[in-house]
Amino acid sequence: MSFLLACPNCGVREVSDFGYGGEISSRPGAGADFRQLNAYNYFRRNVAGVQREWWFHRSGCRAWFIAERDTRTNRVMFTALPKDVPPGGDSGPAEGPEPKRLAVS
Amino acid sequence: MSLEFLTLDAPAVARSPMERQARAAGARFEVRDGWNVAVDYGAPEREREICRTAAGWADVSHLAKLELQGDHGLAGVTRRGGAWWCPVSDRRALVLGARGSMPGPDETEPEARVHVVEVTSNFAALTLIGPLAREVVARFCALDLRPQATPVGSLRPGSVARQPGMVLREGEHRFMLLFGWAIGEYMWTVVQDAATHLGGGPVGQSALEGADA
Amino acid sequence: MSRLPEHPGERIDRQKVIRFSFDGKTVEGFEGDTVGSALYAAGRRTFSRSFKYHRRRGLMCCSGQCPNCIVAVDGAPGARACTEPLREGMRVEHLNARPGLEFDAMRATDLVGGPFTPPGFYYKTFIRPRRLWPLYEKVLRHAAGLGRLPRQQPERMWRTEYRRRHADVLVVGGGVAGLEAARAASRLGADVVLAEEGPELGGRRLVDEAGEGIAALAQDLRAGGVEVLTRASALGYFDGIVPVWQGDTLHQVRARRHVFATGGIEQPLLFAGNDLPGVMLSDGARRLASLYSVKPGSRAVVVTTSDRGLHAALALHEVGVEIAAVADLRQLSGAPAQDLGERGIRVLPRHTVVEARGGKAVAQAVLAPVGGEEADERPLDCDLLVVSGGSAPATSLLLQAGARTAYDAARGGFALSELPDGVQAAGEVAGAGEPDSVAPSGELAGLEAAHAVGLGDERSGARVPELREALAVARAGRPAVAVPPPASGARRGKCFACLCEDVTSKDIAYSVKEGYDSIELCKRYTTVTMGPCQGRMCQLPSIALMAQETSQSLADVGTTTARPPWRSVPMGVLAGRPIDPAKRSAIHGRHRDLGANVKWAGDWRRPYDYGDPQAEALAVHHGAGLIDVSTLGKLLVRGAEAGAFLDRVYPNRFSDLRPRRIRYGVVSSDAGRILDDGTICRLDQETFYVTTTSSGAGAIEEWFSWWLADSDLEVRLTDLTQGVGAVNLAGPRAREIISAVTDVDCSNEAFPYLDARQGRLAGVRCLILRIGFVGEVGYEIHFPAAYGEHVWDALLEAGRPYGIRPFGLEPQRILRLQKLHVLVGQDTDSESTPFGAAMPWIVKLDKDGDFIGRSALEHYARETPATSLVGFTMSDGHVPSEGAVVVDERGTPAGQVTSSRYSPVLGRVIGMAWVPSALARDGVSITISDEGQKLTAELRTRPFYDPDGEVLRS
Ligand code: FES
Repeated sequence: MSFLLACPNCGVREVSDFGYGGEISSRPGAGADFRQLNAYNYFRRNVAGVQREWWFHRSGCRAWFIAERDTRTNRVMFTALPKDVPPGGDSGPAEGPEPKRLAVS
Repeated sequence: MSLEFLTLDAPAVARSPMERQARAAGARFEVRDGWNVAVDYGAPEREREICRTAAGWADVSHLAKLELQGDHGLAGVTRRGGAWWCPVSDRRALVLGARGSMPGPDETEPEARVHVVEVTSNFAALTLIGPLAREVVARFCALDLRPQATPVGSLRPGSVARQPGMVLREGEHRFMLLFGWAIGEYMWTVVQDAATHLGGGPVGQSALEGADA
Repeated sequence: MSRLPEHPGERIDRQKVIRFSFDGKTVEGFEGDTVGSALYAAGRRTFSRSFKYHRRRGLMCCSGQCPNCIVAVDGAPGARACTEPLREGMRVEHLNARPGLEFDAMRATDLVGGPFTPPGFYYKTFIRPRRLWPLYEKVLRHAAGLGRLPRQQPERMWRTEYRRRHADVLVVGGGVAGLEAARAASRLGADVVLAEEGPELGGRRLVDEAGEGIAALAQDLRAGGVEVLTRASALGYFDGIVPVWQGDTLHQVRARRHVFATGGIEQPLLFAGNDLPGVMLSDGARRLASLYSVKPGSRAVVVTTSDRGLHAALALHEVGVEIAAVADLRQLSGAPAQDLGERGIRVLPRHTVVEARGGKAVAQAVLAPVGGEEADERPLDCDLLVVSGGSAPATSLLLQAGARTAYDAARGGFALSELPDGVQAAGEVAGAGEPDSVAPSGELAGLEAAHAVGLGDERSGARVPELREALAVARAGRPAVAVPPPASGARRGKCFACLCEDVTSKDIAYSVKEGYDSIELCKRYTTVTMGPCQGRMCQLPSIALMAQETSQSLADVGTTTARPPWRSVPMGVLAGRPIDPAKRSAIHGRHRDLGANVKWAGDWRRPYDYGDPQAEALAVHHGAGLIDVSTLGKLLVRGAEAGAFLDRVYPNRFSDLRPRRIRYGVVSSDAGRILDDGTICRLDQETFYVTTTSSGAGAIEEWFSWWLADSDLEVRLTDLTQGVGAVNLAGPRAREIISAVTDVDCSNEAFPYLDARQGRLAGVRCLILRIGFVGEVGYEIHFPAAYGEHVWDALLEAGRPYGIRPFGLEPQRILRLQKLHVLVGQDTDSESTPFGAAMPWIVKLDKDGDFIGRSALEHYARETPATSLVGFTMSDGHVPSEGAVVVDERGTPAGQVTSSRYSPVLGRVIGMAWVPSALARDGVSITISDEGQKLTAELRTRPFYDPDGEVLRS
């Protein structure tokens, strides 16, 4: 597999420059039951279509960012730092870009 | 107690990770600013010739480097007092240059909440210089270094010889490769392999300074 | 010598004779010849033996498209004789025939093997008895295949240069369309690379007009800055990256736009004996004559599905080849038929060839009316059978780029129907191959490519509709010529659909009978299209046969997926340079000086020992040892909320750690599994210095920054792993040694266990951590990597009176094991929790707030893990292998040994193992099954050495 991805900091690079962080998933809050936990830890939606996902510019600026990509064609709709990600849209998961955030005590 | 232990101010000689390879290639060393620096490889005239006609590579790991974290306010790579100020992201920047050209604590504006870390020995560095320098880099690096994509004075973080790295275009025919200290020996081998095949050779500081002049 | 008289346009220089050898015999040719043209001129007709049946094969396409002329040049197999330029003294050898090309013993497979060697025969035949497979394999490997590699190669025998080339536009194909495209784009300022597979630019123009006008065009391009590559094959399209193989260079071209002007490939016809030497494609025969002045034969029969063959007949007649007859599969021939008639050459309409006869080469061609009876056949003597099955557009690269094709009845083949973004097609591949459209189509593609990268002006913009219009007019004026799919008689000898893999029409029929009745299945079963020609010669014929066998239309059969490589390529070209990206500590040179036994440890090269691991381990107990731990991950975590952040990424607490104190930490995942471990030292209120395992350094930095990426915690990370060197000095004399070289007060009172100090050591600023995982008093010293050798030397020097020894990873394993220190990744795996790994104390569930893994760990805290990690000692001297199985009383696997070593200081074998938690008590005896042996071990839950840590704290 080889396609191009635009790092929001560095610009366009080949995909081998990056690390893949998987689809954005929603982290269950405190007191989650085993079922919810396992779904979060071990299950993926594995969408055949457009999804939002994490990428890491491993060979470059070493920043994490979010890409919206069609998993069937590897067409990338956008890449953005988490703070700049446009809200959900039809294509993204309902949870939006920051569902894994640690609850601040 | 904070980060004093990162400061390079010992009376001892600081050494590049490529020093042994430079020595094996015939380097003549001098201690400058506390660093063992390859001044030439026994034939400064020929080294200058290589820089003019092919591609020379020089170990410049001794350059001082600082990491700035926070709102550094840099819009692009800038040259200040002989040092390169290179934004990597909007929160992170690198400053590189000769030790004397490094900013003092007052210049990095603590009130702007910019954290400064000495990272000199985080990054080893090689300068490639000469009309074939870009061809040499193209042997192991997929970054687009054509002038229209990477004009003089731009920094390109990305994979260099399959390792995290950065390329700073210092001049039309001059590129600085920055990479992890621990892969110094590997990078020297890669650059040597590519450059030698294209008629290049190792060059010392004097050839580099000659090219500057 | 069958050279024609000199004529303009020939590529040979008759003044310059070149000598080379073929199978040991000296042959002469001229400068400008190819190996193929020189050999052909010297009378050679057999160039190779086929893959399976060892049949004779001769020149067919003369343009590097088919497998027939593959030879070895100077020991390197895989060269195409017909395109390989002749060089003085070159050594050319045939492949795949023993003992020789003219007499090949393996020919027997053809004579007797036909009916017995259907596709897949060896999978079915040679499976029993199984133990004989190695023997079968040896014989089969010997019998099949193309060429052999030299047994030994000096490393750089065939050096490949890997060159990345960025460009605005890459044009693939150096025919008229490609050249025009390159010119148009480059005139608008685009940075253009043009790659032509053949030795010369010009494409079909080379055949028709010996390349008239091409040189000037090429000159124009080069002057305009286009990088023109010849003998440069585009191997595939990888999401915008096109590797172009050119001799000893692999250009990895990364262009923003692509123009594919890859032309068409003249197709062979299907008939019995269609592989005999002397059966030649029309362009091939013409190339021999026009470029190399080689007379391809003296008496020819021509069979064609289009005007192409008619033109060939005229051209060959022109150079003195007698034309016995021309068979045209069409009812109505084109205009050239008239010219042929004027020359007294008869064109037989609706005729085809049903068989080629001959021994070493074609001697007779049997013509017959299409669909006619045996009685209508007419055998004609000839030594050249020119065939032309029309042209198949070379769409492979376009298909790889995402284009689609559809069956086009008017053209009798699969034509482009849809182009993906970022890609243009021009010339014959785009259905614009005729003289009136090829140049406009190239120019149009070039302009569009340049426009797409933001270049161009008003004039170039206006030119686009003009060109479109011109192309449309040309297309409209062209009569649609439906070409009958050429799939004729398999009723006599072998009729080859695929020359590379020796797949006959019968094999395709057989495959359908066996149930492999889709073209994709048939391809995998028969290997049709999978040989060196990559389907160039056989894709259309195999589809036609499939259609015939399954009574479908060609459109229904469809095509197979186009995959790289589009041209066969030596593995060496793809292998990369033999340089390993190794990380090395700044002290690595010293380890070499000391004769260390260096091995891989993750991405690092590290000393495993310095010759005597046992003695090195003992030195740590008796005097002192020094180990390079520069590979440890080192992260600076800074900021007002750094402590709060660490509280969230570790299950234990760090916000309450006092400055200059150190605490051990285990990173766990959200599933409560152990990811990594290390020590965390608080340097000041806002600064923590975190170490990770050597192998986990990169992953933990990524992990931390991932959790920070969408958080608004005021925290900054800096990875200091490579910038900071570190050594661990340990042993009863460590304090004396360090005190000799540092200004830091290292007395136990001033600098107790788990404290950190900064100061100078041998003049170098250092961070000294009082920690130890080898069981003795220890100091972990961190310093700028540039001073690595200096610090190392100073400590070894200071330690000399105390018997200091450098020690490597292996003795460190022994020492750690004595202390039952868990080695993450060795003693734990992706399922290990801190509870199972006997570290429940590391999880602080009474901590406020969320942390990674909290919910999962809360669950695990309530239940007993199935297995637990404990120490063991062996009753005999046996060292069980790491990975040996712990079994229960019934012999069922119940756990696993993860570490085991002989401890010289204890004088016995110790280890760590996962055992059922119910057994994890001191003194319990367990059984270990190690490669069939049953061993007994006794469990220990506390460290073997200094169990209470008194030595460590002293
Ligand atoms: S004759 Fe050489 S490849 Fe076809």
